[in-house]
Amino acid sequence: MLVIDEYLAVRVLVGAPPPELDLDETLALPAYRHYRLLQRIHSPGTGQLSQLLSDADQQAIRRPHPEVLQVLDPRPLLDEAAAIGAAYGSPGLLVGETLAAGLVHGRRLWFGTARNVGKRLAEIADDLGISLHVSEPDGRR
Amino acid sequence: MDRVTTGEDLLEERRRRRRAGDPRITPEGREILLRLTTGDLMDDFQAALDADVEADPVLGGHYTDDEA
Repeated sequence: MLVIDEYLAVRVLVGAPPPELDLDETLALPAYRHYRLLQRIHSPGTGQLSQLLSDADQQAIRRPHPEVLQVLDPRPLLDEAAAIGAAYGSPGLLVGETLAAGLVHGRRLWFGTARNVGKRLAEIADDLGISLHVSEPDGRR
Repeated sequence: MDRVTTGEDLLEERRRRRRAGDPRITPEGREILLRLTTGDLMDDFQAALDADVEADPVLGGHYTDDEA
C-alpha cells in the first residue's frame, strides 16, 4: 500500500498519476487528507471546487472508487496518531494521522508537491525514519 | 485450447483501470483538477488547503510563529 497526499489522489482520480507511482500497489489517502479535499467541495471561499466541478466530478472525489483510490480508515491509526501528538507537541490530526499511516504502511509517504509536506511533518518523519517521496509535476522542481 | 485468464491478465487489467482513473470524472473536470494539482492553479489550491488547516487547531495543531 502506498499512502499518498491530496495532490496525488486527485491525479490518480483523473488518470494522470506520476510514472514513479507503482500502480500495482493499493493507493490510499489518509482520512483527514480526504477531509481536506472535501472541505474544498463544501466550504465557501477561494478554491471551492463545487463552483468548478460537475456533480459527477464531485462524486468521484467524495466517494472514490476503491479500486482506484482507497480512503484509509482512521480508527486503527488514532492511537499511533495520539502518541505522535503527545511526543511531538500536538502537530494536529492531519500530521499525526498521516505519519501514523506512514509508520504502519511501509515507513514511506508520497506527496504531489513539496509545498504540501509541511515543516513539522518533514521533521517528525525524519525522526521516525519515514521516507518522503515527492513527485512534483513536470517542469516544477 | 482456449486461452485461460491468468493472474497476470488480471493484474494488467487492474493496472489499466488504475491508469485510466475514475470514469466519473468529466473531461472538463479533469482539466480543472489537473490545473489545481499540476498547473497554474496550484498556488491557489495550496493556499486554500493551508487556510483550512490554519483555521482548525484540531486538524492543524498548535503552530508557533516560526513553524507556519
